[in-house]
This record gives sequence, structure tokens and C-alpha cells, in this order.
Amino acid sequence: MAQREWVPLDVDVSVPSMARTYDFMLGGAHNFAVDREVGERIERAMPGLRNAARVNRAFLGRVVRFMADQGIRQFLDIGSGIPTVANVHEVAQARDPECRVVYVDRDPVAVAHSELILAGNDRAAVLHADMRDPEGILSSPEVRGLIDLDQPVGLLMLLMLHWVPDESDPVGLMARYCAALAPGSHLAITHVSGDHQGEKLSEATDVIKRSNSPDQVTLRTHAQVTALFAGLELVEPGLVGCGEWRPRGPGDIAGEPGMNMLVYAGVGRKPSA
Amino acid sequence: MPDMPELTNREPDGTPERPDPDRARAALARKWAYLLSGVVVLPLTSHDLGQELRGLLDALCAALLAEPPTRAAEEVGERLAALGYLGEAGLRCTTEVLGKGLLALPEFQPVERFAARVLVGMGALTTGYLAADRRALLAQQEHMHLTLLKAVRDAKWHLKESEARFAEVSTLSANGIMIVGLDGRLIQANAAIGEILDYSPAELTGTSLYDLVHPDSAASLREGVLALLDGKRDRIRQSQSLLRKDGEVARISLTASVLPGADNRPSHLVAVVEDGTELMLLQGELRRQALHDVLTGLPNRQFFGTHLESVLRRVDPAYGITLFQLDIDAFGLVCHSLGRRAGERLLVHVAQQLRAVLADETAMVARFDGDEFGVVLENSATTPAVETIVAAINRELAGPFYVDGVGLSAVASVGVVHRPSGDLDPAELLRAADAALRRAKNGRRGQWELFHPDQDARDRRAAALAVGMPGAFEQGEISVRYRPVVHLADGTVAGVEALLRWDRPDADPVPHDACLDLAERTGLTLPLGEWLLRVAGGQVQWWRQRGFDVPLAVGITAYQAADADLVSRVVRVLGDTGLLPNQVVLGVPVRALAVPEAAENLTVLHDMGIGTALDDFDFGPDAMAAVEDLPVCCVRVASRVVRRQATTGGAVVGALLPIVLGAGATVIVDGVATDTEAAWWRAAGASTATGEHFGSACPPGDILARFASD
Repeated sequence: MAQREWVPLDVDVSVPSMARTYDFMLGGAHNFAVDREVGERIERAMPGLRNAARVNRAFLGRVVRFMADQGIRQFLDIGSGIPTVANVHEVAQARDPECRVVYVDRDPVAVAHSELILAGNDRAAVLHADMRDPEGILSSPEVRGLIDLDQPVGLLMLLMLHWVPDESDPVGLMARYCAALAPGSHLAITHVSGDHQGEKLSEATDVIKRSNSPDQVTLRTHAQVTALFAGLELVEPGLVGCGEWRPRGPGDIAGEPGMNMLVYAGVGRKPSA
Repeated sequence: MPDMPELTNREPDGTPERPDPDRARAALARKWAYLLSGVVVLPLTSHDLGQELRGLLDALCAALLAEPPTRAAEEVGERLAALGYLGEAGLRCTTEVLGKGLLALPEFQPVERFAARVLVGMGALTTGYLAADRRALLAQQEHMHLTLLKAVRDAKWHLKESEARFAEVSTLSANGIMIVGLDGRLIQANAAIGEILDYSPAELTGTSLYDLVHPDSAASLREGVLALLDGKRDRIRQSQSLLRKDGEVARISLTASVLPGADNRPSHLVAVVEDGTELMLLQGELRRQALHDVLTGLPNRQFFGTHLESVLRRVDPAYGITLFQLDIDAFGLVCHSLGRRAGERLLVHVAQQLRAVLADETAMVARFDGDEFGVVLENSATTPAVETIVAAINRELAGPFYVDGVGLSAVASVGVVHRPSGDLDPAELLRAADAALRRAKNGRRGQWELFHPDQDARDRRAAALAVGMPGAFEQGEISVRYRPVVHLADGTVAGVEALLRWDRPDADPVPHDACLDLAERTGLTLPLGEWLLRVAGGQVQWWRQRGFDVPLAVGITAYQAADADLVSRVVRVLGDTGLLPNQVVLGVPVRALAVPEAAENLTVLHDMGIGTALDDFDFGPDAMAAVEDLPVCCVRVASRVVRRQATTGGAVVGALLPIVLGAGATVIVDGVATDTEAAWWRAAGASTATGEHFGSACPPGDILARFASD
């Protein structure tokens, strides 16, 4: 909390935001020229990346429906970015209007955007916080108001953890999140990996590096991403290419096989104590 | 509802020979949905998308048959765009699928007839789609502008809020608070730091922190700040010297930490300054509380002692000082009868009166413990005499002073040390005043007593000895000596008297009477007296077993005589030693018999068959009464009576002695020093005597030799 009040929140649209760039890749217009410029350069460095974005977005819909089918009615989406189309609350509340969703992002623009979108939806809220403060997030009024931590939670970290460098100890952070969740909770992670597209990807990450964006990518291997699920049971089919995780239709997989493997996706379930 | 497994669906082959319009449309809609979902993101399940697109296809088909087809087809395009982010990819996919598929549908056969309609209809769909897409795009951009505005406003609000909080916290804070840039310049400073340094906060803004720090300590601050910026330390705390505007040094305690920016790198430092002078004020208050009596507000003993010390250093030797120590008589009685609160109010009253009496003098009035007060008076040419001051104090205290409707009159006993010599330190002076007060209290209430150095020295020595005595007893420094009691008729041994002797290392031995006086001061008498009887009893038994059967005389003190356990102690010793009652004579001082318990004890001992003696017998009225009233077998004439007889002739004693003998008591004479004295007492009717003339107190072995020589 102290940090939230002390950090000068400069909203600088001359610096690209990965959240807005992602929106652009999905075809949205919730972005600025700098975001689109970076998005186009990334696309040039790695043709077909739009499809990877689309496949990840399709995974979101799938995984939220999967969790809802497991009985989960409350979702915490950390690193929610600019909720553009097919948002968690749209998908979840379409399944059951009682579903409650809290979005968390550290980008003030993403937060402001979400607040505008969610105005009037009393079962969804957005919290401005840094994912590296699990206790602060879980004890925030937004989370406490909508989410009962004694009941299973659907925790979503989609295209999020590769923005967290190793120095921030993402494994430790995930352990702190999972410790606070009730048995039966599910964690979904999608994470960019260089395991299959290393060379092309490094060009794309160079674009991001040169863009002065505060968001920088840490690529992780299959084993490193699996480690983020410590203490959880991975549900079938385990940690796989995003398009290979329980696809239900042509929209769930990309035409280019490489794009299906660019992002790992997995879902872990917290076992009973 | 589970999704339909489109992946396993196979598009059924349409057979032109047997057209089924509904089936064909369903197939086209499925194909459209299938291909569209592969290129765009839609918030719909495959099944729902299929349903949606089937609805759109039906509407489009209806439009193509309407006249003109354009408006309704545009609406379809608008609805399509509204499904989500379709973009160019979605439109491309749609035109490809529908462009071919529509003309293959049974209702649009023959193709030639419907080609133009379908072409125009697709154009209208595209037009509607573009218009809707552009509206969506503009809406999103508008939304984004709102978002941006809101984000900026929120950020400003957060900033304003945090600034407001900073302002509030920093205004209220008694500590100095500074927000410092990484270049060391002050960005914000609160009023408190301004006060500490005597600058206005505006003057401080922009100043370098290092310019405010004393040059000697700037290096350590730089070092600390570096450690903060390098992330080696989360917080530094230093004792620092800041420079005030006037160049004076302000001793402060500085705590600094880093404020991280949005990128989590250090953006500012916050430094909190605790004012050492404020701390000193607080310490001053604590000191005041520590040095003053809470009840009366007067300085306490500690403060008084310190003050006395400084007074002694600066005193005008022509007049000197006078030290008073006062004790409120009957204070205990007031507390006991009227309650503690009344006692407290009495003390407050006394404090006020003392201050009032001494208002014109250079004096400090202090409250010591309980009901004791102290006054140190710096004398001057106009200072009244001591007795005048004491009289004034007691006149004021005489009141009456009312507590809960009860009029009280206080009287003080006062010990005074007047113009002491300069070589006494404060502690000695206070003790001297206390000693004088004790003596005053021993006299009539409301007395005052001047301190007399000679008397005090004796008292002190005695007190020091008394305090050391129990330890000496434990260490075995106290022993039992024996003195022969001899027949005046023939000089043979009639018995032995047991006496105490304290052999102090490197000092004169303390004789029996002094030992008893000292023991009476500390309460050592009871164990020591019992021990004396026990040791001597054992010794006498030992002698008896060797054929020397002599009775034992032991004197007891006034305290022992009145002891409720005296009889049981004696019985216990007799039982332990095997001593027979008739072998023991216990002597009780005459003056001790004023206490009824002592007389009772004496009677009981006599009834047990133990010999009872009246010690320190002086033929005074009390002594004569005792010998007549109490069952005593003998009296021991006090040695001072023997001295007087030796110098004045002893007519009175000579006249009274027959009365004693007539009461049935034998007479022992103490302290006979010469043959003449012995002869006189023998003639007067005394039977036995002790004294230097017959042998002094000696160790048991020497007495045995004396027995043997008889």
C-alpha cells in the first residue's frame, strides 16, 4: 500500500505498453501509436505472432470455462492488461452470472481502462497492484470484497510471468499465492518460451528491449515453467503448447505449428491438504 | 453446455441434384464459423458462433431476396462487425466463404439470375461492416482517450492524495521530514525541519542536503546514502549535526530510506530528522519527574542532595548554611485514623507552609521519604536565628488545617545542622541532620535538636558496630568468658558468671555490657542470649562432671526479659544441656521489670526452681519495690553504687540493705575493686561479690585452674 501511494504514477504514452500492444495484436484499437509501432515490428520479426496472441486469447476462454466446469465461481486475473475482447468476466459470467472476477494490473492505463469497462458490474473489479506483492493483493479491499479465499479460486497468470525476472523469484511468489488459496483452486499459466522458436523470438524480444518499455521478457524453458506450478497437480494434458491444451475447435490452434508451441499453457490444481 | 465437437464434424457433401435449402445453409454457416474462428478472436464458443453466423446467414439470404437488397445486407455487415475484433482477416474470410457459398445455395439458383443480387448484397454487407468497424474503432479510440484521461487524473489524484497525506503527516509531525532528490537537493521539507534549522520550508527547497550537514559529518551521510542507492541498506540511521541558519549546530538523529519510482529503481530519498533538542526537553521533563515528589511538587531527596552540593560550593563562608530535617509528628496517627488521603493532604499542607515560612529566604524545601522534609537555607545577614525559624514553622503548622471537616494541627520535630564546617560533604550533612532529628524525636514532640559532632561520632561508631555484630557472631568472633563469683567471707568461689566478649580483628575487644547494648540495637539479643546460656550451661555441666559443681549466673537484657518465649527458651536449653534449674541464676535488670511481661517471666522462672536475681540493683524506689513484690532469690548491687559507696560512705545503702535481706534475698556485689570495699560490703551483709579484686573474666580453662586452687 505504501508503495502505491508513494510511487509517482506518470502516465507516459510515449512508452509502449505490452498490454496495449497485445490488444493491437488481437485486432483491438485500445492502443496508441507507440504500441502499434512495436506490435508491427514484432510482427515483422516474427510473422504469425498475431496468431500466437489469438491462440492464447482462445486458451483464456477455454480455461475459464474449464475452471467454471470444475465448480469455480471466483477468478483472480493477474496481469490482466487491457481487457479487450473475450474477457474473463465475459466468459465466466456467460457461464454463470454469479461468477466474480478481480483483475489486477500494475499499468495505470490498463487499470483505468478496466475501471471504465467494469463500471456497473458489481461482480468484477480491478486492482492496481504489482503481482510481486501477493499478500497486498490478496488482502486488498477489491479481492476481499469479491473473493472468498476459503473457497476455490481460479488464478490466472496469462502471458504474465515472462514479464517477471528471475530476480523477483517468480517461483517463490507463486508459492506465496498458492499457499493462500483453498484446496481445489486452479492456477492457469501461459508463458512465452524459447524452447522451439528461440532464434526468431530473440529478434522479437530485441524489439521490445529497444522500445524502452518497462516490460521486458524473460524466456523460460519447459522445466522452468513447470516449476512455477510447485505444490499443484497439473491437470491433463500437462504443460503443453497453448494450442494443444484441450482444443475444442479450429480457433483454438494456429495454422503455423510454431505458433502453437511459442507459448506454454498449463493448469494446476491445488490438492486437498 | 458442452461445445460441439466441430473438429470431428465433417461437412456433408452438398448434392446439387437434391437441394435442401435448410441443410445447405447450415453447412455454409458451419464452414463460415469454422474458418472465421481460425483467424479472429471472438468471445463465443464454436457452437455459439455457429448459431450466430447461421442467424446472420439467414438474414443475409432474406436481404438478397428483398427489394432493394442493400439496406438489410448492410445491417448484416454491421452485426457481423459487432461480434468482435474481426478486422480485415474476418472480412476477408467472410467474403471468401460467402462469395462462393451463397451462389451454391439452392435458393439462389440459377446463378445467372442471382449473381448480380449476391454481388450487390456482398458489397452492402462490406459497406455495413466497414461502417460498423470504423464506429467500433472510433469508439475504442474514444474509450482509450477516456482511459488515458482517467489514468492521468487518477495518477494526479493519487499524487495529490499522497501529497495531501504527506502534507498532513509532515505538518503534524514534530520530526523534520525531507524528500530529497537523488542529486541531494531537497524537493520538499516540512515545517518541523524548518524550525529545527530556522529556515522556512521554501528556503530549504532546492538546497542540497549536504550543505545542511556539518562538514565533519557529511562524509558519513554520503556513504550512507550510497549504501541506500546501491540497495545495500534499506534504511540508514545516523547521529548527525545539521547547520542552522545562524551557523549553530543542531544535534539530530537522521533516518533515511529510498522511495522507489515506477520502475522500482530509487527515485527519491526520504529523510526523517528527530530533533535532539526536543529529545532533550523530553529528557528534561523526565528528569523533572525523577527529581520531584509527585504529591507535593517539592524537589525529592536526590534533587535536594545535588542542590546541597552546589550550595556548599558557592556558600558565603561569612554566614554559611543551615540544614533542617523535619518529621511530622503524629503523621502515622493521621493516616491511621483519617485515611491515607488525609495524610497526603496533610503533607501537601506542610509543604505549602514550609515554603511560606521560608519565602523570604534563599532556601530549598524538599520532601524526603514519608513524612520527612528537608530544608537547606543559605544564610544572610537578615536570616532569623534557628530557633526563630523552627518556632515559625511550628506556629504555621499548628494550624488548624481542615481535612474532611476535621481540624488538624501538625507539629514537626526538627533536626538542625547549623553552619557546618566546610569539610563535610552533602551525604554527611544529611546524615548529621537525620541524627539530630532522631534525638529530637526521642524527646518531647515538637522539639528541635542541634547536631552535636561528638555525640554523633559515638552514635555512628556504635551503629556501625551493631550492624557488624550479627556477621561477627556467625564468624565465631564472639566467645563466652567466665568470671568467678566469690564468697566475701573466705574468698572461695561461690559460682561463675558467664559473659560475652567480642574479639574484633585489629581492634579492641568489646566487653560484655557493650556487646549486650549493641545486640539490643539489631535484635541479635534473643539468639545471642540463648546461645550464651547454652554454651555456659554446657560448660558448667562439663565442670560438674569433673567434680566442680558451681552455680551459673547469667544476666539477661531488658529485651530478653520481656520476650514471650523466654521461658520456653530456658527450658529448651536446660533440656539440651542437662543443667538443673537450681544450678542457674538468671539476672534481670531492675529497669526491665517496668514491663509486665518481664515480671511475669521472672515469676515463672522462679516457680520452675530457677534462681532469679535483680541485676543492676541501685536501691532506688523501683528496685526496692521489685525486691519486695517479686520472687527473687538475690540482688546484684550495681557497680556504680559500689563506686558511690567508696567515695561517699554509703549511708543510704547501709540503711536499705537490711530491707533487702529481710525480703529474703541474698546480696551479690558487682565490681568490687579493693579489699576495703569488700570488707565494707561483707560487714553490711552481702554474701558474695564479683570484680577485678576477685578475678576478671577469663577463658574456661583459666577458671578451672581457679577452682583447682581453692
